[in-house]
Amino acid sequence: MNYKPDKQELMAYLYDELEGAEKERVEQYLVEHPEELKELQQLRGVSSMLRSVKDKEVIAPPIFIPDANERRFWDAPYFKTVTSIAASLLIVLLVGKLMGTRVTVSESEFRISFGDQPVERGESPAVASLTERAVQEMINQSLQANNSQLTANWEESQKQLQQSINGSLVINSDKMDQLIKQASGASREQVSEFVATMQAENMKMVKDYFALTSNEQKQYIEGLLVDFAKYLQQQRKDDMQLVEMRINNIERNTNIFQQETEQILTSIISNVGPPQTMETKY
Amino acid sequence: MAETLLDIAMMHSDTLISRARQGDQNAQGKLVQLWYKRIYNFSYKFFLDHDLAMEVAQKSFISMCKNVGSLQDTARFKSWLYKIAVNYCREEARKRKGNRSLSFDVVWNREAEESPRWESSSQRYDNPERQYHHGEVSDILQEALMQLNPEQREVVIMKEFEGLKFREIAEVLNISENTVKSRMYYGLDGLKKILESKNITKDTLGYEL
Repeated sequence: MNYKPDKQELMAYLYDELEGAEKERVEQYLVEHPEELKELQQLRGVSSMLRSVKDKEVIAPPIFIPDANERRFWDAPYFKTVTSIAASLLIVLLVGKLMGTRVTVSESEFRISFGDQPVERGESPAVASLTERAVQEMINQSLQANNSQLTANWEESQKQLQQSINGSLVINSDKMDQLIKQASGASREQVSEFVATMQAENMKMVKDYFALTSNEQKQYIEGLLVDFAKYLQQQRKDDMQLVEMRINNIERNTNIFQQETEQILTSIISNVGPPQTMETKY
Repeated sequence: MAETLLDIAMMHSDTLISRARQGDQNAQGKLVQLWYKRIYNFSYKFFLDHDLAMEVAQKSFISMCKNVGSLQDTARFKSWLYKIAVNYCREEARKRKGNRSLSFDVVWNREAEESPRWESSSQRYDNPERQYHHGEVSDILQEALMQLNPEQREVVIMKEFEGLKFREIAEVLNISENTVKSRMYYGLDGLKKILESKNITKDTLGYEL
């Protein structure tokens, strides 16, 4: 018997949703295949573990549902749109009426105006009757008035300026005079005194300077002389030494020379005899 | 899984559903009360996060109340509701993928996870109330569940915790029954491996079960 239940059948069997022959067939198979049975029992174990999970208690919140059937025709979207357009048109009309809006289209102008239209008044011709001459006159009058006022102003300010200049001149000259007087008050005596003290100071300074310099010069020249003397002495000493050395040299030379001549002489003297023998040989 | 009164009420809520379909707000409210816990727990297990689960549950029920009128067959209410929840879960998961910000508390650390203290070091259960409600085991199991890929996770949760039949799951997910079964198989197998890697078997946990 090659029957083998598939997973679907096993599941249906596990949850007891198989009936009659099919159920028996699966049972038979499981008896014959204990390893399959074991596996199925493991799954059953998982299933029974899952069932140990308890439901959470919960309280249903009140749910209010507006009755959908009670929709009136004014709830319909198209009605709402139309109504809103009409309402806004009405508002526009009302506002236009309240503000007295007037729209006029004439030959070449389109005009929107608010409020009452201005009424052309009879005064305008009167304004037009103001002639050129009258305007000219009015201009002239005002110019004249202006000019006279300007000149008056100018004169007054000129006067004030003159006055202030004069006043300041007087004050300044007074001050100058005083200053000059003070300066002349500083008399010749003071000057001569000042010059005298200057001269005295100068003289003293020059004297001091000369004294100081002559002293220094003297010292310097003395030093110079001493040095020179020292130098001369040294020179002489050196020369003397040189001469001495030369003389010693000469002395030694002469001594040597003497000795040599003596030797030669002795040799000559000692060689006087033998020449006879020699002569005999001849 | 029809064990509690609530479950029994859920099984026999056909009249309630048909009244809700006719726009009875009272009936709709009752349906919410009946199913809220299931949908919340489904999405909680999917995300392991209370806030996300609450959000998904609320969105699902708002959508349910709005669209229950268009439900054709009252018998399919359950799978229809789960379908809504699954779609919202997937949507939230997608959103969360796009925004990859991590809070400072939930920076995962492999080493810490492997260490024996990993459950207590996890900041996720810092709420004492939650800690009280969740034993160690269910924490471990739920963490293991989170490691499955979302497709297998959906199937495992719906099968194990929500008690849907394979046929119903296939209807919810709009896939074939065989695909559901094989996802279930791989999901269980994956869980087994994850738990084995943590050295957890039925025997080691036996005293707690």
